[in-house]
Amino acid sequence: MATATATPALGLRVVRAPRRAPMLRALRTLAARRGALTAHNPRQIAVPMLTPILFALVIAPALKTALGGLHSQIDYTAFVAVGTVGLLVPLATTFAGLSVIVDRDSGAQRELLAAPVRRSLLLLGNLLVVVGLCSVQVVVVIAAAALRGAHFHISAAGVGWFAAATLLFVILMYAVAETLAARIRTAEEYIGATPAIAILPWFFAGALFPISVLPGALTWVARFLPLTHAMALLRYGFVDPTGAGLHDIWGLSSTTASAWLSLAVVVAATCALGALALRAFKRSVVA
Amino acid sequence: MATRANARSFPAALPRQPDAAPAVEVSGLSKTYASGVEAVRGIDFRVAPGEVFGLLGPNGAGKSTTIGMLTTAILPTRGTARLVGFDVVEQPLRARGVSSVVFQEAVVDRGLTGRANLELHGHLWGVSASGLASRIAQLAGALGIAELLDRTVDGYSGGQRRRLEIARALVSEPRVLFLDEPTVGLDPRIRVELLDAIAGLRERVEMTIVLTTHYLDEAERLCDRVAIVHLGEIVALDTPRALLSGLGEEVLALRVHGDTAVALAALGAHGISAAEALVVGQTLTVPLHDSSPADAIAAIDRAGLAASAISTRAPTLDDVYLRLTGAELAAA
Repeated sequence: MATATATPALGLRVVRAPRRAPMLRALRTLAARRGALTAHNPRQIAVPMLTPILFALVIAPALKTALGGLHSQIDYTAFVAVGTVGLLVPLATTFAGLSVIVDRDSGAQRELLAAPVRRSLLLLGNLLVVVGLCSVQVVVVIAAAALRGAHFHISAAGVGWFAAATLLFVILMYAVAETLAARIRTAEEYIGATPAIAILPWFFAGALFPISVLPGALTWVARFLPLTHAMALLRYGFVDPTGAGLHDIWGLSSTTASAWLSLAVVVAATCALGALALRAFKRSVVA
Repeated sequence: MATRANARSFPAALPRQPDAAPAVEVSGLSKTYASGVEAVRGIDFRVAPGEVFGLLGPNGAGKSTTIGMLTTAILPTRGTARLVGFDVVEQPLRARGVSSVVFQEAVVDRGLTGRANLELHGHLWGVSASGLASRIAQLAGALGIAELLDRTVDGYSGGQRRRLEIARALVSEPRVLFLDEPTVGLDPRIRVELLDAIAGLRERVEMTIVLTTHYLDEAERLCDRVAIVHLGEIVALDTPRALLSGLGEEVLALRVHGDTAVALAALGAHGISAAEALVVGQTLTVPLHDSSPADAIAAIDRAGLAASAISTRAPTLDDVYLRLTGAELAAA
């Protein structure tokens, strides 16, 4: 029978307060880690930009020449360059989601989960890096398109609409990526789901042509995609102050009202998917 | 299949209430997973500040689930656990703030340098920037990885990576350090190196260590007290010496050719502690107490049974575990 014995005390210390990093420092640390892992050599920074640059410099002008443009005051090269944002953001965010799976599979996530920081900061740290990466890519594609001769209509208000729509769209798509990463167990399955999440909506959201030229049923499908609203806002900000894309969605006479409605749709979708991502993440990391 | 010759109960014993507040206090802790598996069933133990405490048991015994609950990665179904007074469910940030973990699997950012891994831990645990560099240098020196710190972890050997993980866990000067199967999967040389490093910690650092292992020699070598865990319950809790003392100074191991029940009856008839004998297949392990090996062999011989592979040795925690659970650690 086991007997109780004295517990050896090897030395008692003055009780110290638990260690805990201030929230901002913890967030900066987590973002720096993700940044170092995502872009620790020039190739990792340059390769994600190849597709948007290719679109801006080659594909958009080629399509303009082949198709004769949009037959309106809107410059087709600029139209497609902004449409490219609707592809590069989902690609960048879904690949960032893949890194969450890598963290989980490699075990590195366990150390982060054992840290005395709120677990939601792990998501936020990743998101900061994704926002930074997407911002660089968007600036590069717009700059490349401008250098190639695209005509943008840029105003202070337009920059505001463009920036808000881009930021919200990045957050929205990263929320989708995090949710998938939390629910899908293997990188192979995740990669298999990527085209459906990152690429398919792009074809219906008016990236290369206005949604009004789609068959009627598909136009309605497009109206329900957050990407369609985001893309219409991006173009409203940088390409078409008359908001033709917004009118195609809402059919309202007021462009400003249409813009606010589309922004509300993107905000609502971002909040809903953000909450879902947080919930999925927390459920995936605590048994 | 192992069987228990002696079916008497061997209840878990709680340690005497230590003078200081316990560093780890676990009460009625249980975990039932959504699948219905009861991984941990109402365990209780306390670990005093500075103590090295071992959770010993085979894979699936519930050790890692217990560590998971103590490190807030797993939510308990019932019961409470406190680290230095901080409830792991109610105050998870504070509980994590006083502890660090070295995980069973390698858990490092392989794409980062060793130094970046250590700094990451220091920053997340709120170690002041001014003290961090010197703390890292001190730990890297003590654990023999100073030369490696600026290389990416990809190039580290298994043992170097393990030492890096231990250094990382110590950067924040935790009050409680969890070592979850720290040597599993390592080759023997690295394992010896690592055990030496952990033993060195005991001499240099004042901290409470909770260690899970299914290696008996680790538990005997490192732990002040050991809780033997079986099917989610603590079936014994004491110092390794006290646990071993129940089996006397020497045990006889032999392989019986014939009915082991007959052999046990023969041993009992000759006053040899057959009730404590352990039977695994055809192999008997018999605590000798005041008997001699010759007495035992003669008893079996007189029952008309042959014996082979006869040896005597000091009892091990494996024998204790076998006696308590009817299962052998190494085989589990």
